[in-house]
Amino acid sequence: MLRVCNLTMRYPNGKLALAGFDLTVKTGELVVVLGGNGSGKTTLLRCVTRMLDPSGGEIWLGDINLAGLSGERLRQARLPLAMVWQQANLVRRRSVLANVASGALGRHGGVWTSLGGLPAEELRAAYGYLDEVGLAALAGQRAGTLSGGQAQRVAIARALAQRPQVLLADEPVASLDHEAADDIMRLLRRLAGEENLAVLCVLHQVELAYSYADRVVGLRDGRTVFDLPCSELPRDAVRQLYLSEAA
Amino acid sequence: MTADAAATRLVERGWGGALSLTLRLILLLGFVLIVLQSALVVHARPQDLITGIYGMTDIIRRAMPPDFSEINKIWWPTLETVDIAIFGTVGGVIMAVPLAVLAADNVTPSRALYYAARGLIGLARSVPDLVWALLFVTAVGLGPFPGALALAVHSVGMLGRLFAETIEHMEMAPIDALSLTGARRLQVFTHGVIPSVLPSLTGITLYRLDENIRSSLVLGFVGAGGIGFELLSAMNLFQYRLVSLYLIVTFVLVLAAERLSALVRTRLA
Repeated sequence: MLRVCNLTMRYPNGKLALAGFDLTVKTGELVVVLGGNGSGKTTLLRCVTRMLDPSGGEIWLGDINLAGLSGERLRQARLPLAMVWQQANLVRRRSVLANVASGALGRHGGVWTSLGGLPAEELRAAYGYLDEVGLAALAGQRAGTLSGGQAQRVAIARALAQRPQVLLADEPVASLDHEAADDIMRLLRRLAGEENLAVLCVLHQVELAYSYADRVVGLRDGRTVFDLPCSELPRDAVRQLYLSEAA
Repeated sequence: MTADAAATRLVERGWGGALSLTLRLILLLGFVLIVLQSALVVHARPQDLITGIYGMTDIIRRAMPPDFSEINKIWWPTLETVDIAIFGTVGGVIMAVPLAVLAADNVTPSRALYYAARGLIGLARSVPDLVWALLFVTAVGLGPFPGALALAVHSVGMLGRLFAETIEHMEMAPIDALSLTGARRLQVFTHGVIPSVLPSLTGITLYRLDENIRSSLVLGFVGAGGIGFELLSAMNLFQYRLVSLYLIVTFVLVLAAERLSALVRTRLA
């Protein structure tokens, strides 16, 4: 489970990107964060992963507060937290299988992996994850040859190789066509349910949020505007979220 | 202003106008002056070339035909020349890779190490390989070893700089993604950085090997072994037919190295 309490982020230029933001994502739940440009969505994910150091607040991953950690302790504590990016961010010249297996590197600190090798059991497991995202047939192919949708599925398989409890996704369908976007969201929905992952997904596509999310959080100026189950979310509230941006 | 008027104004102010003609004459005059001063400084005497034709023709006549009966003596110096280049290149790569990592802005662990590495790379590059060879001949004596050492150290200058630039220009997003999976620093380097830059690094290394084969020929002139050393010895002993044989071998060697390097680099691209 992921719990964010009173998360605040003020950039050095004085801009307040997150202002006391609270959020809980339970195991098996898919929560979508909606918001206009500059609302603080990406900052939220960057703070949760500690790629950015928040100005204040707590980030609880299970019973560990990531906000107070650094260095090796942070690396260890962050292992159950996987991230899928807007672009797949694969190592293009490595095989699809190696890219997926590299998600498991955090659990292996030996000489072999430090020299660029990958444990045989992780390669076997990686094949299984690729099968899970429907791309086992492409295991031997170079990552650079994949389509956008395929690459994003491989990135999800890499995240699974990390054996996460929480999966963050930063606009994972932004650069995909409608069909590929549906595939990815369906996959995230299934992983939340079947693999008992807590999935936090930042999206721009309102219809995808309605179709796949358990809960939707609206974010504006770093503050929560609404946090509602999908079935209770009024269309008007979402429209207002984006109208204020246009204004 | 109409389009026609604007165009006319531009043409008048441009290279076709009176002002541009003056400017062109000044530039031409400046260029001529630079060439003239360089000719004065190097004591250029074209008449010497004309009077020297007899001497040059005489040397070419005495160098023909190449002495192929001595072909068996040439294999060892040729191998030495190639091996000086190989040793120098491999040695250069071994030293350049860690220095390049420290000297790459985006992956260096500290600013102090960044400046130290940049300084060492700059030093290796700024001292010519011939000077390095003379230093190493003084240190370890005559033979191919000082030549190989000189090439290794001098190669660090070029390899370190280009390797660092390649690392600086690589796509960082996959590296960040790998870091966030929990991979350690060294694992991120071997699983993310190396695969991303290896083709470029290999291409640069092959280009350097090609350069080093040419350099190793010259290094022989200062006692660093190989064909260069044999060529100088043959010239000192007035064995011009042997000299021409060495020149043919040199030509074939340089051409083969260049073609091979270009071929592999094309495949890697």
